[in-house]
Amino acid sequence: MTTHDIYLLSPEISMAGLAILLILVDLVVSRKSILTIVAVLGLAVPLALSIVLWFDLTDQAATQMKADFGTEIVTFVVDKFSLFFKFLLVGATALVILASSEYVSKFKNFHGEFFALILFATSGMMLLASTVELITIYVSLELTALPIAALAAFMRDSRSSEAGLKFLILSAISSAVLLYGMVIIYGFTGTTVLADIATQLGGLLDGESAFGGNALLFGVILVIAGFGFKISSVPFQMWAPDVYEGSPTPVTAFLSVASKAAGFAVILRVFYIAFSAEILSVDWSAVFAVLAAVSMTFGNLVAIRQNNIKRMLGYSTIAHAGYLMVGLAAVASRTPDADAIIGPSGVLFYLSGYAITNLAAFSAVIAISNRINSDLIDSFAGMARRAPFLAGVLGFSMISLIGVPPTVGFMSKIYIFGAAVDTNLEWLAVTGMVNSVISAYYYLRVVKVMYLREPIDDAPVGSALPMKLAVMVTMAGTAFFGIYPTPLINLARSAVDVLVS
Amino acid sequence: MGLENFLIVSAVLFSIGFYGALSKRNAITVLMSIELMFNAVNLTAVALSRYVVPESLATAGQNAGQDAAQFLLTGHIFAIFIITVAAAEIALGLAIVIAIYRNSESVFVTDATQMRN
Amino acid sequence: MLDDYFRQYALLAIFAAFAVAVPTGMLLMSWMLSIMKIRPQKPSLIKQAIYECGFETLSGRWSQFNFRFYAFALIFVVFDVEVVFLFPWAASFGVMSATFGAFVLLEMVVFVGILVVGWLYAWRKGALEWS
Repeated sequence: MTTHDIYLLSPEISMAGLAILLILVDLVVSRKSILTIVAVLGLAVPLALSIVLWFDLTDQAATQMKADFGTEIVTFVVDKFSLFFKFLLVGATALVILASSEYVSKFKNFHGEFFALILFATSGMMLLASTVELITIYVSLELTALPIAALAAFMRDSRSSEAGLKFLILSAISSAVLLYGMVIIYGFTGTTVLADIATQLGGLLDGESAFGGNALLFGVILVIAGFGFKISSVPFQMWAPDVYEGSPTPVTAFLSVASKAAGFAVILRVFYIAFSAEILSVDWSAVFAVLAAVSMTFGNLVAIRQNNIKRMLGYSTIAHAGYLMVGLAAVASRTPDADAIIGPSGVLFYLSGYAITNLAAFSAVIAISNRINSDLIDSFAGMARRAPFLAGVLGFSMISLIGVPPTVGFMSKIYIFGAAVDTNLEWLAVTGMVNSVISAYYYLRVVKVMYLREPIDDAPVGSALPMKLAVMVTMAGTAFFGIYPTPLINLARSAVDVLVS
Repeated sequence: MGLENFLIVSAVLFSIGFYGALSKRNAITVLMSIELMFNAVNLTAVALSRYVVPESLATAGQNAGQDAAQFLLTGHIFAIFIITVAAAEIALGLAIVIAIYRNSESVFVTDATQMRN
Repeated sequence: MLDDYFRQYALLAIFAAFAVAVPTGMLLMSWMLSIMKIRPQKPSLIKQAIYECGFETLSGRWSQFNFRFYAFALIFVVFDVEVVFLFPWAASFGVMSATFGAFVLLEMVVFVGILVVGWLYAWRKGALEWS
């Protein structure tokens, strides 16, 4: 470990440091509203450090900087891919903290811990985007999962603790499955470093059986199952609806955006670096294609009959995991002359679009349901008159989730389904489009209830300033990237260059 | 004592743990089953670390005058990390079980059914 | 040298034999005395009661413990298991510090420092109080 290594790790270190600082501040101050300000302003530090690293990358004309702890084991890299996710995660965390500023007044105490746990989880996710070694991946994965389980159980009433227990138990089972897969891969190749796994595999694959060998097949399937849990893909989705419904709403927002982004970051990293060999990628892209089709269909069909908006968004997130996996399935080796980075860059573009849109939806839901004390879709009746701005944002984000122009949801769906068509997965693109139409039914129901139903109560629903800020930023992002997505697409494309070399 | 014995034992342990985690009613038993799964993985990791070393690294170790299996302790390090993280996981699990117990006087996961679709 | 090593186990065997012989001998002696009609045989309710360190038994075996024990146990387990990282660090300290210098010491200071923050937190929040 050298000073240069600490410099490379500085965004994560400052993030964890900020979390510890918040706990300490909470012990000494009595006015708890200070904590929100400290948390949001403090996030500027990891953001600034990430920006410095980004420009350092371009200055040195290097694609990545490696931190090698010890002699030959590289565990951590800083490249455009990881920095892209760091920007996304810091931004999402800032918005979640802004959106929860009003919500936390529901808790009698432990405000500092709430923010600190969010920040600890974020530091784990940032590590996850940068790690290139299996042990580090596992530790960072748990660093994201454990704080989220504690956050899900944060309200300590029966629903919330039930959500926490379900998340914890299923996450622990999936971690064990993932670990078993990782250990088998380690046994197969003798190393835990992703790049070395790829080199070792080069000499080991026989090209006859699937994945070039039964042990590797077993290991990779277990790894896919473990990661599938983290991104809530069918058939590992059973935790999502209950946890989404029972958790405090800001935690649900955090879970659906940041946790999913980190999960896709590590999947891209593992599969594009360790299992990049051509005969392997054809196999795992087929697995992801099937999972994608099943996930989006299941999520959309079950979401139709939900009455609770958090639960509905929980099923919708399963469907979106399906759309995102279309990008994973679209690997270049399926077609010889395809654009090599269209699949992974589609995942990154879709993820950022989904993050902005979903945060807009959740901010509006938090603002409204916190005031009317209900998560039922029916209680949103006539919200267009009681809270015109919030209802407008919620309606707009629903339209973006369907994928209708002029929203970022439309652009990202076009891009990711285009990637599927380019790589001979036309059937998957068609499934995705049919699913988008199905999803319109339940997304538009929310809009219909808000705009066409008579209000139950005439009292206007207001919102606090940080809340308004979060809603406005996400709304503006959804609209801006819906009209002019080029900078985001270029960013995503330059970020994934390092994966496909 | 070959590698197979360790792998078979750990696969059996993992399966018992997996079955227990998915089928038991008592939350404490579920947490114990999960611990069993983690320990099965630990056993696999340590056994593989002892027996499996890639050829290129083995020669590098021999050139350095060391026994290759001792030269690389990746599996052991993996196991240490799994042990500590699993302990944190179980501690958090028990804390949540206590919270549930305070609410409902029950540690049965089948009683935790506030939410249904 | 290996013989010396195994000779240590002989002590253990002697100790075990002694531990088995004493209670067996006592029971055997009592039985022989009763055969020789020296020991009187007058069973009563009090003599046949369950013996628990001189106290009367208070409740059934499956009584619940106070859940505060679990709270202490949780804190103990977390701090206890983290110590596992100290052993590989201490074992490789010499080798590592030759390459990386003071950083090796600093790492452990940071690690223990984070544990201390956690301990301070638990203390301040009253998790170490019984009430």
